[in-house]
Amino acid sequence: MFGLRLVRRENPLPGGQVFAFMVGLIVALALGAVLLLLTDHDPIEIYSKMADSSLGSPQAWSTTLTQAVPLGLAGLAVAVAGSMGLWNIGAEGQIIAGAIAGTWIARLGPDLAGPVLIPLMLLAAVVGGGLLALGPALARAHLGVNEIITTLMLNEVAIRIVRYLVNGPWKDPTAVGFPVAPELPEQAALPTLFERANIGVLIAAAVVVVFGFFAARSKWGYELRVAGSSAQAAEYIGISLRTKILTVLVLSGAIAGLAGGLRLGSSSRIVEGIAEGWGFAGIIVAALALMRPSGVAVVAVAFGALRVGGTAIKGQGVPASIADIIQAFVLMGALGAAVFTTYSLARRAPGSENASMVEADA
Amino acid sequence: MTAVELDGIWKRFPGVIANAGASLTVQSGTVHAVLGENGAGKTTLMNVLAGVYKADEGAVRLDGVEQHFTKPADAIAAGVGMVYQEFRLIPTFTVAENVALGAAPRIVAKSAIEQQVADLAERFGLHTEPGREVWQLSMGERQRVEILKALWRNARVLILDEPTAVLTPDEAKELGRITSSMAAEGRSVIFISHKLDEVKAFCDEATVLRGGKTVANSLAVDDLDAARMAELMVGEATAVSQRRIRTTAVGELVLGVEDLVVHDIHGRAVVDGVSFTVGRGEIVGIAGVAGNGQRPLADAIAGLLSTTAGSVAITHTDVSAMAASERNARGLAYVPEDRIGVGLAPRMNVVDNAMMRSYKTLGAGPLVDRGQATSRATSLIETYNIKVAKLDVPLAGLSGGNLQRLLVGRELDDEPVVLIAAQPTRGLDVQGVKAIQDILVEQASDGVGIVLISEDLEELFALSDRLLVMHEGRVSREFDPDTATRADVGAAMAGAH
Amino acid sequence: MNGSLIDSFVAIVTDIGLWVSILEFGTLLYLAALGETIAEKSGVLNLGVEGMMAIGGVSAYWMAIESGNPWAALLFAALATALFSMFHGVLSVVVGADQVVSGLALTILGLGLAAFLGQDLVLQPPGASFEPLTLGPLSDIPGVGPTVFSMGPVSWLAAALGVAAWFVLTRTRAGLSLRAVGESAATADAAGTRVVATRLVSVGVGGALAGASGGYLTLVLAPGWNEGATGGLGWIAVALVIFGAWKPGRVLLGALLFGGLLALGPRLQTLRCQADQEDACIGFDVNPILVSMLPYLLTIVVLVLLSIRSRNRPSLAPAAIGLAYRREER
Repeated sequence: MFGLRLVRRENPLPGGQVFAFMVGLIVALALGAVLLLLTDHDPIEIYSKMADSSLGSPQAWSTTLTQAVPLGLAGLAVAVAGSMGLWNIGAEGQIIAGAIAGTWIARLGPDLAGPVLIPLMLLAAVVGGGLLALGPALARAHLGVNEIITTLMLNEVAIRIVRYLVNGPWKDPTAVGFPVAPELPEQAALPTLFERANIGVLIAAAVVVVFGFFAARSKWGYELRVAGSSAQAAEYIGISLRTKILTVLVLSGAIAGLAGGLRLGSSSRIVEGIAEGWGFAGIIVAALALMRPSGVAVVAVAFGALRVGGTAIKGQGVPASIADIIQAFVLMGALGAAVFTTYSLARRAPGSENASMVEADA
Repeated sequence: MTAVELDGIWKRFPGVIANAGASLTVQSGTVHAVLGENGAGKTTLMNVLAGVYKADEGAVRLDGVEQHFTKPADAIAAGVGMVYQEFRLIPTFTVAENVALGAAPRIVAKSAIEQQVADLAERFGLHTEPGREVWQLSMGERQRVEILKALWRNARVLILDEPTAVLTPDEAKELGRITSSMAAEGRSVIFISHKLDEVKAFCDEATVLRGGKTVANSLAVDDLDAARMAELMVGEATAVSQRRIRTTAVGELVLGVEDLVVHDIHGRAVVDGVSFTVGRGEIVGIAGVAGNGQRPLADAIAGLLSTTAGSVAITHTDVSAMAASERNARGLAYVPEDRIGVGLAPRMNVVDNAMMRSYKTLGAGPLVDRGQATSRATSLIETYNIKVAKLDVPLAGLSGGNLQRLLVGRELDDEPVVLIAAQPTRGLDVQGVKAIQDILVEQASDGVGIVLISEDLEELFALSDRLLVMHEGRVSREFDPDTATRADVGAAMAGAH
Repeated sequence: MNGSLIDSFVAIVTDIGLWVSILEFGTLLYLAALGETIAEKSGVLNLGVEGMMAIGGVSAYWMAIESGNPWAALLFAALATALFSMFHGVLSVVVGADQVVSGLALTILGLGLAAFLGQDLVLQPPGASFEPLTLGPLSDIPGVGPTVFSMGPVSWLAAALGVAAWFVLTRTRAGLSLRAVGESAATADAAGTRVVATRLVSVGVGGALAGASGGYLTLVLAPGWNEGATGGLGWIAVALVIFGAWKPGRVLLGALLFGGLLALGPRLQTLRCQADQEDACIGFDVNPILVSMLPYLLTIVVLVLLSIRSRNRPSLAPAAIGLAYRREER
């Protein structure tokens, strides 16, 4: 029909995803520049301000890395599920669940010493995130219920639980105006690492590295990949899909929950918007990283910088949402560019259109 | 009057010549059988007629007018309908919706369409309920929906590709009535088959293909008997090529299958009481036309399919209740018909695929020892002459022969006692076939008991110590390859007793 | 206690304002959910509804101020959002990108773009509103008169679109093809249906309806524009499609039910706060925030029930949903 057609490459183009990401970034910055021009801003000025505020100094880096923590953990959470072909769209809610569970511990033991309280809070956050994922995991493993929708719905439930808590049982009676929860005890704050970054950065980095290593090198990670690649092959070598689905989804929720717990260490109290869209951004991060932990770390830092830059230009009259717009365009550009890493253009050979249909008897 | 004329059709695919000047002439108002072994080029020839392929050379004529189909829609418009073995129906649509899809009036009045479909069905004596959803129907009913689809588009030539393979005997008889009522209206039916009895019962004439060529053109079926048909299909008994000389005596029993029964999801007994044994160093060949239960039999022995009755024993231990991986641990190796998917994971790399059976033993703790895994993969690659550029790229780029050597090698790596090899050489080129056959022979002489399921009679005669024929889920005959003729085996495959 | 329970119940359900509010929420949800139903019926899951509604909301609000005409604003919102939905259409249908990823990217992009483009609209007063429709004597009938027969014109439009969608999907050749594409693209392709075109049009129609829904939000239901105006309503629309088992009629019932929950929530609290007569509303001490979770929880329950139902029969979900189609891969 067109003379040209797409042919699947035998092997994906090496380094293809880096290429796709770069294309996505260029497309996104170009489209962002158009938007800025349309609203009478100088894109170069805005972009350099964004770059400067996010990467230009140690302090800038510390804020960028702080943003990269929840992004990276949410991205890892999505990637863990994604390595088995499952979708955890519920990281947003699991971050909230983690923050709720952490706050709950802090409310139970406000006088505990920091070195006791912080690990307990983080542990509770991990459990909280995992618990929110447990329902979708059980439903998927035992009844085959689509986990995309169940995890998605639980985001909205979690948002309402935290809204309920800060408006009701946990409402700070002394606060005026917007309802908020009382501040956490001082010793619940995570120790500072450098400038504005706290040790949450190290914890998140350690989780990504350890998990990345474990997923790539362990027998468990291997089984995960076999199950994600072919359910029949997994059955043949004795892997229980049901157990794998259950553990993977709960683990995914737990990792997102940890992000919520770590947020408590950086912000003084739980608020309604504690998750700030990181859970959804994590899906973009994981998709761009092709579900690989190493890629997640890189993309998370890049997107963390974008977010910091987006906040910094608010003074210029540019909405911070420019960061979200650019993130979405990066992904869309990369999705479009990915066609050329998995397919190549070829001339259409006559009669070959349906050749694969009938090979069996040929 | 001549309805269909295929004249000197050539069709080449990379590495394969599917049709080498094949021809076919079908009169209107007749049911015409097209016979041939697997790989004889029947389906390719029919796809040329149905517009799926364009012939490299040769002419397609309908009612004497030369046709130049470039896509299936052209053939449909010219009055050619084809019913494939795998039905193309939408399970949640009603019969009427499936029939009308793509050829419906702009406004679809449900009851009117259903009435029209019912009328059409009645005209040809097809029993169907137009308002029912297809998923509720038996395979026979679904096939009738496919036939109705062709009739709805007013097909004057209907091609049925091995239509009885999925039918019960009663449904097959019903199909015979339908085809004769179509012929009575002056239409033509082309009936692809391997089975003599139904060819004799349903068809008027038969054309036989072998090796992509027409070896018998429009024979009257009355002149056909089992011996003649088998001879035409498989050819003269040429000198048996490199018949395997047994190097060891058949040893103790390594595999015992007893009264095995497997039902499919529709409740049909696809394996219906199969018993046989395999001794050490023995190759037991299983011949049969595709779809007679070989595939579920292999899956059931491997532990991938649950059985209704019967038992499987490996070296005298009953493994019937064991999962596939436990059977593996007891010395069973399986080379499944679906190399990709069941056997190999295409998105994983060579090392990952090579260690699928042994990953638990590679490295002591929770981690896989990548060094060991890589050296294992490397030794497989050397031993079985697998050509790969890199170890860390997904399998998708490997050729069929390399994939199969990787799979066979992996399955044989931890020295099994029994190997189930299902269609191990299908789709491979000549060297690939030889490499796999050599491996099988070598393994047998090392004492492995082998079940070789194949549709290639040449291969079975060359390698087997005993030859079983499966027909309709049962082992219908057993032959000694030293004394049996291909005609005998071919006749048994076609269902003669 | 019992007396007061019944009294409070009667007080709430006899409040005309509740029923008006239910119809308004129902209209909003139905427009978006109907669009998503059409897209999913063709095999394309679009998780971008929340973002599309935001785009529709901001573009309708802007156009209302520019033109002063609510219909022009609604139409503009529909067209602009249909165009916007093509990001997802092209990526998931033409390029074959993962529908989940591409749809979520659409939501993030839509929310971001709407916030960006609408920053100057935040404090502006509405530029236009719909005239209420009164149907003469019908509007005087007690009960249905001041509610159903006083619905705004967009509600009637939504109802009409629902009927039209039902008719097209079940009674026309185009609808048959659309459903076939959503069940098995390969089968539909073999029968001569244009898979890519059908899916693109379905996504576009879904976008137009989500845009209209967003416009209804900013013009009628809660006049005004601010960042975050959609507040999760788009996700309810996605949920509704499942709740309604991909059938326009059942989706309508679901929209009214979920609309009812949204309308009821704040009223429970209002009643509690206004009633100073001690025992007037004991037993209705239900937190409205918890009530607002119900649509999502109900959807999960329905999803589980649908999965159990489809154990020995095909699922009600379009079989090809989420699957990209490329002819060469057959």
